Amino acid sequence: MINVLWLQGGACSGNTMSFLNAEEPTVVELVTDFGINILWHPSIGLEIGEQVVDLLKDCISKKIQLDILVFEGSIVQGPNGKGTMNYFADRPMKDWVKELSEVAQFTVAIGDCATWGGIPAVPPNPSESTGMQFLKKNKGGFLGADYKSQAGLPVINIPGCPAHPDWITQILVGIATGRAKDILLDDYHRPKTFFTDFVQTGCPNVNNFAQKIDGHFGKRGGCLFYEVGCRGPMTHASCNRILWNRQSSKTRVNHPCLGCTEPGFPHNDLVKGSVFNTLKYLGVFPKEVPEGQSKMLYYVRAGWEKVLPTNEALTETSK
Amino acid sequence: MESKELNISPVGRVEGDLDVKVYMEDGVVTRAHTQAAMFRGFEKIMQGKDPQSGLIVTPRICGICGGSHLYCASSALDTAWKTQLTPNALLLRAIGQATETIQSIPRWFYAIFATDMANKKFANKPLYQEVVKRFAAYVGTSFQKGVTASGRPVEVYALFGGQWPHSSYMVPGGVMCAPTLKDITRAYAIMNQFRNDWLEPVWLGCSIERYLQVKSWDDLMAWVDENDSQRNSDLGLFIRASLEFGLDTFGQGVGKYLAYGTYLHKDKYNNPTIEGRNEALISAGGFHDGENYHALDHMQIAEHVQHTWFEDHAPAHPWEEPIPTPVTNSTILTETDFDGKYSWSKSPRYMTHAAEAGPLARVIMASNPGNLDHQNRDPLFGDIMKEKGPSVFTRALARMHEAPRIYEYINEWLGQIDLDGEFYIKPEERDGKGWGATEAARGALAHWIEIKNGVIENYQVVAPTTWNVGPVDNEGQPGPIEAALEGTEIEDAHDPVEVGMVARSFDSCLVCTVHAHDAKDNKELARFKL
Repeated sequence: MINVLWLQGGACSGNTMSFLNAEEPTVVELVTDFGINILWHPSIGLEIGEQVVDLLKDCISKKIQLDILVFEGSIVQGPNGKGTMNYFADRPMKDWVKELSEVAQFTVAIGDCATWGGIPAVPPNPSESTGMQFLKKNKGGFLGADYKSQAGLPVINIPGCPAHPDWITQILVGIATGRAKDILLDDYHRPKTFFTDFVQTGCPNVNNFAQKIDGHFGKRGGCLFYEVGCRGPMTHASCNRILWNRQSSKTRVNHPCLGCTEPGFPHNDLVKGSVFNTLKYLGVFPKEVPEGQSKMLYYVRAGWEKVLPTNEALTETSK
Repeated sequence: MESKELNISPVGRVEGDLDVKVYMEDGVVTRAHTQAAMFRGFEKIMQGKDPQSGLIVTPRICGICGGSHLYCASSALDTAWKTQLTPNALLLRAIGQATETIQSIPRWFYAIFATDMANKKFANKPLYQEVVKRFAAYVGTSFQKGVTASGRPVEVYALFGGQWPHSSYMVPGGVMCAPTLKDITRAYAIMNQFRNDWLEPVWLGCSIERYLQVKSWDDLMAWVDENDSQRNSDLGLFIRASLEFGLDTFGQGVGKYLAYGTYLHKDKYNNPTIEGRNEALISAGGFHDGENYHALDHMQIAEHVQHTWFEDHAPAHPWEEPIPTPVTNSTILTETDFDGKYSWSKSPRYMTHAAEAGPLARVIMASNPGNLDHQNRDPLFGDIMKEKGPSVFTRALARMHEAPRIYEYINEWLGQIDLDGEFYIKPEERDGKGWGATEAARGALAHWIEIKNGVIENYQVVAPTTWNVGPVDNEGQPGPIEAALEGTEIEDAHDPVEVGMVARSFDSCLVCTVHAHDAKDNKELARFKL
């Protein structure tokens, strides 16, 4: 039996809603067949006779073993570091999180708000929000760069806005089935099993990317990297390998990837001209190029492909 | 502690905590205060940013109504930028809104509302055993069916939006997607499975066509008794048990209703304007003052902040309102002075009235005899309001009543998409003011935007939960949930499940901490999570 406590701070509950869409396993199966005991969750807590304050205190005093602390939403520190903009069970939520994180075997941050602050932390960050162990790209966050849970791991970050239900359930099942040692984390504490490839991996427009064929809204075919700001080549996530709602992904429906599994989402902090628009130098050269390539080499190759394509472009599309 | 004896139900919460303070005298609620306990400052974040920021930012206000926020954000830009919308664009936006709403219906009923009916308070009622067998959390025979079925409609949302929650596929000028034949056929198939897995066999016990013949309270009673299949369906059981348990006797509310309406008709909103919106709606909007219908006019809305933890300003229409500046002395419920500021929610008012937003408001608008031919015309709740009046039961029935109709709409709209037509017409950015509105699953939602010098000057969001959970206004009028709680009889002060049922009948998106107080000595009797 693995005890899971799921709390929400500066959250929209989008990760919970995403979690409820889980299929293999479903949330009910997670509880009935995988030994996950949800101590409490704002929407789907099984333990319905306990008073929440007592439950939290019992976890802190180790009367109840807290195996996994799941946190969704930003850590609200406002105003002036007091955290009173987010009360929970008679205290600032941040104070509960501090104490609970000290006793948790594993601490898991779900979604961009919990991992690196997310949208609430966009300047001017009115609620003084931060992530559990990062604020945007900077390590530290609320718990500090050196934080480790009882099992010796830093905060396991499952980013995304929201996180895909599979990313959440598989990590919970991984811990529950004794495979925590197989959870390898990257520099941003993301499980490599989901966040090594790029969103572009598996995108149906990858040929159009190679051949520099532009896509636009409301049009079939074409790559969204050049005009409408798709971040698929720079974003680590498995959106085109493990589909959303079992059906699709943003880039499969002509929706540019927003880069929501990378710290810094929303990128460029929503400054004028950065929304659904590829930022460019001199109106031609993309300011950001696919990860792992030098800008100059990319511009040369892309320009060459654009002017003198090596293959006949496959532009035909069909309804 | 006394709370140990409480039977606490799981409920949905979406955007932060709601605390409720209830004063009781001789077992009856005499006064109630609702306190929203979380602040993030989304409007402040958007100020000075790219005009399209709302398309990315506002869905993230609420993970359960993200598609509804997107519908508003794109519409607000449509009216500000004077875009053109093709029939396909309007259809695909309406399908997104409708699939999100129909998703929420079984998810809300089983995961949030019906588990309360399995509370021990009702243990001596004849139908209790059957209710527990079906509706108990996790183990109820209908619980998993309903929760699993709720994921299907948003698979259709994902076919056009890429994912649910949190897509941004609706943009000023149309939609991003350009679906193909297989997307349409697959959408039909998924919706058909939703009907076959849950809507007809589990919920209705009859065909959608048969159910939609119900036009009055008497018709509904006759429908329940027509055969075993209908009587024993989850809807049949819900109706019989609600009447047996007395859910039709409390939680009346303010008796005034506001709906913005939604689903803009594919051929009637191709040049979006605020003025042209009312007549383009398929699900009609309006204000009902308890006696008469009034055409919707968003200029009648003003937000009050005297009891909100924001710096004071006079009641103002959202276009004229300052972006909120939080005060720094918010307090926990037990230390709150309710004569002063006590919530992070504002108090929106329509023509100075507190108004209930939500499915009940929508079905009341559907009963308006003045609705146009292309609009939803459904007299049922006009009659139910006369025969039964508002209550926890009426509100929940209204929510559930929408599922068959929305199902029909989605199929109809899928059939109208023209795969040879356009989906997007690129607009020109310009400065100006805009307004976008819709009906989120839980009620009237609107965004007001002002763009100046190419960036957002002002952005104001008024959510259905703001209408329903807002605090007392500057004139001393309580908010709808505060009003609905007054007069409620609490059978067991240590387990005031009635308070929870009232709050949850509004589907207030929030987990509620109820602090029950005795009005005489102010002693705290019980405190628990709803």
